[in-house]
Amino acid sequence: MKNQVNPWLTGNLYVLVIGMLPAIVLIGALLYFTAWAFAFSFTDLALVGRKSVEWSWVGLENFERLFTRRGFLESLWTTVIFVFFSAIVGQSVLGFLLAATLRGTQSTLRTVVEVCIMLGWLLPDIVAAFLWSATTSQTGLINQLIVVPLGFPPINFINNYALPVVTIANIWKGTAWSYLLFSAALDSVSREVVEAAKVDGATPLQRIWLVQLPIIRPHIATNMLFITIWTFTYFPLIFAMTGGGPGRQTETLAVFLYNQSFSRGNLGFGSAISVAMLLIVGFLSLFYLRLLREPK
Amino acid sequence: MDNTGPSRLTAIALTFMAVIWVSPFSWLILNAFNPLSTGQLEIPRAFGFDNFGLAVSGNAGRQFLNSFIIAAGTATLSVVVGISAAYPLSRLRIPGRNAFLWTLVLLRMLPSAGVLVPLYFAAQRSGLLNQLGVIIALTILNLPFTLLLLKNFFDTVPIELEEAAYVEGATLLQIVTKIVLPMSRAGIAVVWFFSFTGAWNEFLLPLIFARVQDAFPMSVGLYAAFGQQGAINYGFLTAFSILYAAPAIAVYFLLRRNMNTGFAGVGVKG
Repeated sequence: MKNQVNPWLTGNLYVLVIGMLPAIVLIGALLYFTAWAFAFSFTDLALVGRKSVEWSWVGLENFERLFTRRGFLESLWTTVIFVFFSAIVGQSVLGFLLAATLRGTQSTLRTVVEVCIMLGWLLPDIVAAFLWSATTSQTGLINQLIVVPLGFPPINFINNYALPVVTIANIWKGTAWSYLLFSAALDSVSREVVEAAKVDGATPLQRIWLVQLPIIRPHIATNMLFITIWTFTYFPLIFAMTGGGPGRQTETLAVFLYNQSFSRGNLGFGSAISVAMLLIVGFLSLFYLRLLREPK
Repeated sequence: MDNTGPSRLTAIALTFMAVIWVSPFSWLILNAFNPLSTGQLEIPRAFGFDNFGLAVSGNAGRQFLNSFIIAAGTATLSVVVGISAAYPLSRLRIPGRNAFLWTLVLLRMLPSAGVLVPLYFAAQRSGLLNQLGVIIALTILNLPFTLLLLKNFFDTVPIELEEAAYVEGATLLQIVTKIVLPMSRAGIAVVWFFSFTGAWNEFLLPLIFARVQDAFPMSVGLYAAFGQQGAINYGFLTAFSILYAAPAIAVYFLLRRNMNTGFAGVGVKG
């Protein structure tokens, strides 16, 4: 678009501004609520009891507690492991491999695989949690089909391997997004370029690694940005499956935040956790956006 | 594209993966169609739709309706508010609009539990602790993403078409409804679908906002039934889960054609 005067726009400026009003009001509300959440992080506001009414400013005390008390740093580490294995390694790599493989596949098989992985993505979080609890239970599918026939006693996966189970459940649920995005990205790579590389004698692996990947690099960065942030703040699946347990093994930051705010009722401390999460997310986003902008 | 076609090995690997991917559903389906379900993974000795009968009557039926009102209301409100703001955002040269939109999206990445407390207080004060409140709250939370996506889709509509229409004497309303909206139909469908499934799946917000059981959407109803101590009726729960999962899946397949083109727009631009 060039910087030009478009008479149907300039002539109706007031109509356009009126059209934007509802959105401006709602965005204003969002900013207002966020500012409020920031303010809470400097108070000792509680969900119930005396401090829910007579709260007071406590300065940086909540932020000090993040680092001096047990909980936050452990949760951060759990979250990092969860995000790395389920989003970056699991969803992204698997999604890309699927997209690259299915490009050259006949349409029926492609449709079947697409529908299968989409089912996981479309399933509501609570149902997915329900499903995976049942699948990994002592009488569940994995035990009945694999563990017991091999002669081992049934394993209570959700108790003994909680973090791997929720990680796998999240890969199962989220791969479709990466697949769809990479699929669309690969479609945007012109055939001529790939054909030319083929004529020049590039192996299939080289065609992917040296031709297609660099072209879709911005898509990769966008995808990483979205799924990292989503997984980082993902709450319902883990909460409904384990509630953060057993112990604190699966207490990611989002679950920690919920437990502190609504089970323990420490709204002030909870707000400090969400501010810390926002800072981490902001930092990660800047990193990915830099990846997106700068050419090699 | 490769013209060699897939090797047999690839096809087998892909089929194998598809089977693994859908295998967890076996438990859900076996129990839902088994009136004598015990929650175990087993071949049912009986077959029937009794569980589904339970899952559409009484409270369960009302929860389905509640979920639908919340999801369709949120999606429609988001898209209407989004379109009327995203078109000016796309066409007028407002300085810093992209930075602004990205900041909003980033802000929205704040875990929703963080803004839940202020949202709850505001809704309580204005008497909106009901479905309308949930719809408005979800629209507020959705809007940054909706605006960014819709603006990107509108950016791809060539402005020359609008110029031509203007020269032919079309009004702004006609330009928007006859050219811009039809040409970005795929994008709008994607945004509507995202908002619909997002609101349909939403769990935390209705949990806090819905004070009475009559107002529960299915997510909260399912969680409540799931957590009940004592005799859990697995047949009912699995049938209820299938009904709960069905609309989002159905909407996807209705919009599937649009989705795949729409996804390209999610890509790079910002």
